[in-house]
Amino acid sequence: MSRAIAGVGASLAIALALTACGSSPGAAPSAPAPTATATATPLPTPAIEVPIAAATPPPARLPVPPVRVVAASIDVDMPVVPVGVEAGGFMELPVDPAIGGWYRFGADPAASDGNVVISAHVDAPQYPIGPLSRLRDLPAGEIVEVTDAAGEVRRYQVQSVTYYPKADLPVDELFARSGTRNLVLITCGGQFDSRTGRYADNVVAIATPTM
Amino acid sequence: MRKKVLAGIAAGIVAALSVGIPATAATNGNAVLSVLHGIPDTPVDVYVNGALTLDDFQPGDLAGPLDLPAGAYEVALTATDATDDSAPVLGPVTLTLEAGKNYTAVAHLNASGSPTVTPYVNDTSPTAAGEGRLTVRHDAAAPAVDVLAGGTAVISDLANPEEATLNLPAGTIQASVAAAGTTDPVIGPAPVDVQEGVLTIAYAWGSLEDDNLELAVQTITGLHSAPDGVNSGTGGQLAQRDLFLQSMWAIGGLVVAAAVAASALVVVRSRARR
Repeated sequence: MSRAIAGVGASLAIALALTACGSSPGAAPSAPAPTATATATPLPTPAIEVPIAAATPPPARLPVPPVRVVAASIDVDMPVVPVGVEAGGFMELPVDPAIGGWYRFGADPAASDGNVVISAHVDAPQYPIGPLSRLRDLPAGEIVEVTDAAGEVRRYQVQSVTYYPKADLPVDELFARSGTRNLVLITCGGQFDSRTGRYADNVVAIATPTM
Repeated sequence: MRKKVLAGIAAGIVAALSVGIPATAATNGNAVLSVLHGIPDTPVDVYVNGALTLDDFQPGDLAGPLDLPAGAYEVALTATDATDDSAPVLGPVTLTLEAGKNYTAVAHLNASGSPTVTPYVNDTSPTAAGEGRLTVRHDAAAPAVDVLAGGTAVISDLANPEEATLNLPAGTIQASVAAAGTTDPVIGPAPVDVQEGVLTIAYAWGSLEDDNLELAVQTITGLHSAPDGVNSGTGGQLAQRDLFLQSMWAIGGLVVAAAVAASALVVVRSRARR
């Protein structure tokens, strides 16, 4: 079966070589005669190209974490630190509302794909009310600047500010790792339940890269 | 080298074609297949259903992932100078691939050192936010082993061709492989990077007797989940301040209303006196 395919392949090669010669007579006098390859026992070649690589871990791209976020129009200028996931599966946050947390399992600002998610407490016991308490007043069209650990500043333009009841927060969309490159700023708002120590809503600002 | 460059280009093209879909996710009705070569010192050609599919496949190399229609495939391994699969060195074996599943077929030595093929199903179900998954497969001509992380056994008595899977917080673990019930490493210790949302599969292959035990690693990305939510306010001061300001406005309004009413009354009374 494959011998037949290989044979067809070889004759096809000859036919192509002949066609090439025929279409430009005398144009390639130095071209080797095709008979040499045709008489050798041909080894088959794969019908499809399959990627092959050494079974070693691919070099992981090191993220460049954001270190500062500035939204001048609402007087926000806060340091940002990497955070992960806290017990219960919620996004981890710095205790101090004046410090933003960057979700380190998602995209960093230099990544080619995925949303950059930065969140901070709106308030916390023993601390002053945080800068993101003014997130709800961030007008669409304003610029938010994110500085990364390499000192690069990226600009994002605010598209929307939305209140979501916490249970309805579209986490898959906001924390998307592909198909989007937005800056997502999250804090809390709405009614506070002093029994649970939690706000009813999340306030979410979405901003798109300006370049 | 050239092959790897080509492979990289091919992978790039595949990635470019499947924007928005993880490269390793099975499309509808298809299965995903990777092939690992874990037989020492024996380059082979791989024939699938009689057609040459992998040319000059080297030990320690991983081919794929290939998106294939579900069904049965006949796989044969031949010497690299074979012109067809009529005289296989291993097989033919039949691999039955189910739609939506992700497989790795491993050519390896069994416990007693004879070549064999084991098809494994890779657990590509979503990982919890902040976690990665580690699967360990024993594909070496060696007795049962324990897998140790930081000196303690996390997988016990794993025999060829068994596998074990752990879901772990993302991070780097110092892993080693030791004969079952012992702690003296036959492989490692080596750092194993458990990446968030990534299935890392570690294969022990080769032969203990021939002193060529090796570790192969395959990664499958895109299993991540988003966090359940964001609890970004625990003090309640903002709500209190809002409430306070609202009530000040309300009180302010009442004061104004009262003032208006009072002055109206004064006007009415002064008119009445006239």
